Formats: sequence, C-alpha cells, structure tokens
Amino acid sequence: MCAPRDRVEELNGIEANQTEIVKATNLHKSFGRLHVLKGVDFYANRGEILSVVGPSGSGKSTLLRLLNHLETADRGSIRIDGRYIAKENADGRSEYISGKKVLKICSKLGMVFQNFNLFPHKSVIENLMEAPMTVAGVSKDAAAEKAESLLEKVGLTDKRNAYPGQLSGGQQQRVAIARALAMDPEIMLFDEPTSALDPELIGEVLGVIKNLAAERITMIIVTHEMNFARGISDRILFMDGGLILADGTPDDILVNPSHPRIRDFLRKIIREQ
Amino acid sequence: MDYWLDITAYIGLGAGVTLKIFFVTLLFSVPLGVVCALGKLGKFRILRGALGVYTWVFRGTPLLLQLFFTYYGLGILSDGRIAFDPETAAYITFVFNYAAYFTEIFRGGIQSIGKGQYEAAKALGMNPGLTMKRIILPQAIKIILPPMGNEAINLIKDTALCSVITVTEILRNANRVMSRDFNVGALVIAALVYLLMTFAVIQVFRKLEKRYAYYTIR
Ligand SMILES: Nc1ncnc2c1ncn2[C@@H]1O[C@H](COP(=O)(O)OP(=O)(O)O)[C@@H](O)[C@H]1O
Ligand SMILES: [Mg+2]
Repeated sequence: MCAPRDRVEELNGIEANQTEIVKATNLHKSFGRLHVLKGVDFYANRGEILSVVGPSGSGKSTLLRLLNHLETADRGSIRIDGRYIAKENADGRSEYISGKKVLKICSKLGMVFQNFNLFPHKSVIENLMEAPMTVAGVSKDAAAEKAESLLEKVGLTDKRNAYPGQLSGGQQQRVAIARALAMDPEIMLFDEPTSALDPELIGEVLGVIKNLAAERITMIIVTHEMNFARGISDRILFMDGGLILADGTPDDILVNPSHPRIRDFLRKIIREQ
Repeated sequence: MDYWLDITAYIGLGAGVTLKIFFVTLLFSVPLGVVCALGKLGKFRILRGALGVYTWVFRGTPLLLQLFFTYYGLGILSDGRIAFDPETAAYITFVFNYAAYFTEIFRGGIQSIGKGQYEAAKALGMNPGLTMKRIILPQAIKIILPPMGNEAINLIKDTALCSVITVTEILRNANRVMSRDFNVGALVIAALVYLLMTFAVIQVFRKLEKRYAYYTIR
C-alpha cells in the first residue's frame, strides 16, 4: 500500500480496495459504563458469506447494529461499499456524516432481526411493498410484482394477504427476509434469525437463507446454528468479550479450534442442544 | 302536552350548543394533541419542558376553574381588553383542556410501539418522519381508540360545566325550566338527551375499534 494514494482515495471518500464491501476499524462501543465493543476490526468481502459466532453478550448484535447505524460507534471508522459513514477523527472519536446520507448509504444493507419486526398493521405483501414505494419511489405495480416474486422465493405466495399475527414464527421470518430483499440490498445482515423460533421451524428459515447464498449477496450472519454456519460460510468470526478472537475458515474455527475459548464455547453449545 | 313539547324543544336548542362545543373541541384538540405528543417525544428539551408544564396545569386543575379563568379572569387581568362571549370562552378552554389529555394519551400510544418497529423501518431506509407517519401512528391509533372513546364521553358530560358561564347548553336550559316551573321533568329530559349522545359516541367508537380489529399488536 502506498500511503499518498491512500490518502487521496480517502479524501474522495472512496476506498481503493473494492473487494471489501464492509470495512470497520477499531470499533468501540459502550452502553453507559458497559464497554461492549473493545476495538473490533471487521471486514466483509463482496459476495462473501460470513458467520459471527460467540457467547451471548459478546457484542455480536452490537457489531451488526453499528454497521447499519442502529447504534452509533464511540470510536473507530465504518465504511460501506467504499464510503465512510463514520470516520475516526484526530482524537479517535467516531465522526458521522449526516443522518440523511447515512440512511442512503445504509440502504445497501438489509437486516433480518431475531424477532422479525414485521409491521403488524400491514399484510404480508404490504410489508414487502412499503419501503420500495415510500423510500425507493417504485411504482405500486412494480413493487407488487417484485413482492410476488420474492414471496415465491420464500415459499409464501399463498400468504400474501395474511397479517403477520396470523403467521407462524418461521413464516414471519421468511416474510422478514423477503421484506429486506425487496430493497435490493447488496449486503444482508442476519441477527440470530432462528433464535426465536420453535425447533421445528428453524429448518425452513435456514433453507431460505441457504438459497440466498447461491445468489452471492454478501451475507453477515450471527447465529448459534453451528452446523448451518459451517455449511454455508466462507469465513467464520468468533467473538468473545467485545473482541473478535478468531477469524478463519469454518474448519479452522469449528472443527479444529486452536483457541481454548472457542473450545469452551463449542462444548457449551453442544451441551445445550 | 304542548308544554312538554315546548320545554323539550328548548332543551333541544341547548343540545345544539352542546354538540357544537363537542365537535369544535374534538376538531381542534385532536390535532393539537398529536402535535404536542410528538413535541413531548421529540429531542428539544425546552419544548418538552414547556409541554410538560402545559399538560400538568390543564390536567391538574379543575376544568371549571379554567372556564372561570378564561371567561372572567382574562377580562380582569387585561382590564377588559380580552373579553370572550361565553361560547368562545368555552371553545378555547375545552380545546386546551382536552388537547392536554389527548397529548398524554397519544404520547402513551406512540410510546407503546416497540423499538423493533423503528429499527425495522430504519433498516429499510425509512426516515423518522416517514416511520412515524406510515408505521408508528397507524398502530398507535389502534391503541389509543379505547381511551379516546372514554374522553369523548367525558367531553359530552363536561360540556354541562359551561352552564355556569351562561352558555345556553342543555343543562343551562333545563335548569332554567326547572327553576321557573318547579318541574324536575326538565332534568329528566336533559338526562335522556345526554344518554342519547353518549350512546351515539359509544357506537361510533365501537365501530372504529372494529375497523382496527383486523390485526393484533404483539
Ligand atoms: N441498548 C443497550 N443498552 C444497554 N446495554 C446494551 C444495549 N445493547 C446491548 N447491551 C449490552 O451489551 C452487551 C452485548 O450485547 P449484544 O451485542 O447484544 O451481544 P450478543 O449479540 O453477542 O449477545 C450485553 O451485555 C448487552 O446487555
Ligand atoms: Mg445478539
């Protein structure tokens, strides 16, 4: 890397390394006196499928939520597709660009929540059409057409007029995935998408995510489903105590973990399941 | 028989005034309540503080006192420069009084929507204004309908307070008949008119609640 060129690129707000679609450096986040992220460096390559595993409370959700601006970082920089949404200033604090611009840049990221967070007052198809129409300015017909094709993709065409309250958890989560996809995100964030589901409903949601993987959308998945993570991921990160302790292939992390903390964690997970 | 028709017509005249106060109050206090609720939930501290004082004063003192203040008090304080006729004084007082209650109801309704809804909307690129308009307020309406119904019934009954500042509404007219003719029947007629009105309000709100029954908020 030659330094002067780097600086020019930074001034333009464009990152030289176009394979890194998400890049975060030295992220710190505290909630009150609780130091949750303690200097996390993170990247995801374009088209990569990344799983984040680790004990609960280790900061996995917080990391995801910093990436799409549901939380703001105290320190560190965040770059999405070459553009900074937050940049570390001279004394290390994160300086954010305007809220409007952040929202625009973060529209490249879709998010799927543990608790689905569907809009209960809107039918399934209205959930899928809402943001395309009101945010992206897509026409009603085009939004409906897109929504139909997404419902087909997640296997819920017959539920288009149902309300979220009438669906099972697994169905709701599939709708939530389709809703995020309706905005054509380049990156999908999944925060424990199956943790709120009854065991018999987990499979249908993981199946939908697996099918997405074939489309090579960049995916960052926080999960406790180790077999799933192992099967789907290009790379797995292990987080503990607000830091990424390990970063490697699924086999590195889950089959032959070198780190004792990972071994502890895996033992515990296996005992729980 | 003519006598009863006469006094019923006279009380019916008052019912028109009562309905006018009712509708004018709702027409202005509901939007004012929405704006104040949003202000109370907003980020401007001074505004939040001012609105806190506003709702505290109007909910914390008797409506009757507020009516006296608007009708008599302001005139005395301003040396007669501010003087409202009784009906106007009633409109003004009722709008501000009920808006204070609606502010609290709307604030509670908006706050009862979980933060997951805001986060989902934001993750989809919706800005705060759009989120409020498309996601939060439509759901808050369902939650506030029952307490709104209660307030609407209270409002019907509270209009009777306006009789003491000589607004010629139902109770005022019934009372005049009673003291003129020593006839308690006038009060019974007034009661029936109030019952009719509150019954209508209950029906309207029952319909509205049904309209929002198609979904459940977990
Ligand atoms: N909004 C918040 N306010 C206060 N504490 C929080 C908040 N969000 C997360 N935390 C705390 O931060 C820690 C890390 O949380 P989280 O990132 O959700 O961990 P994980 O997703 O790995 O389970 C936990 O101790 C959690 O209680
Ligand atoms: Mg979490």
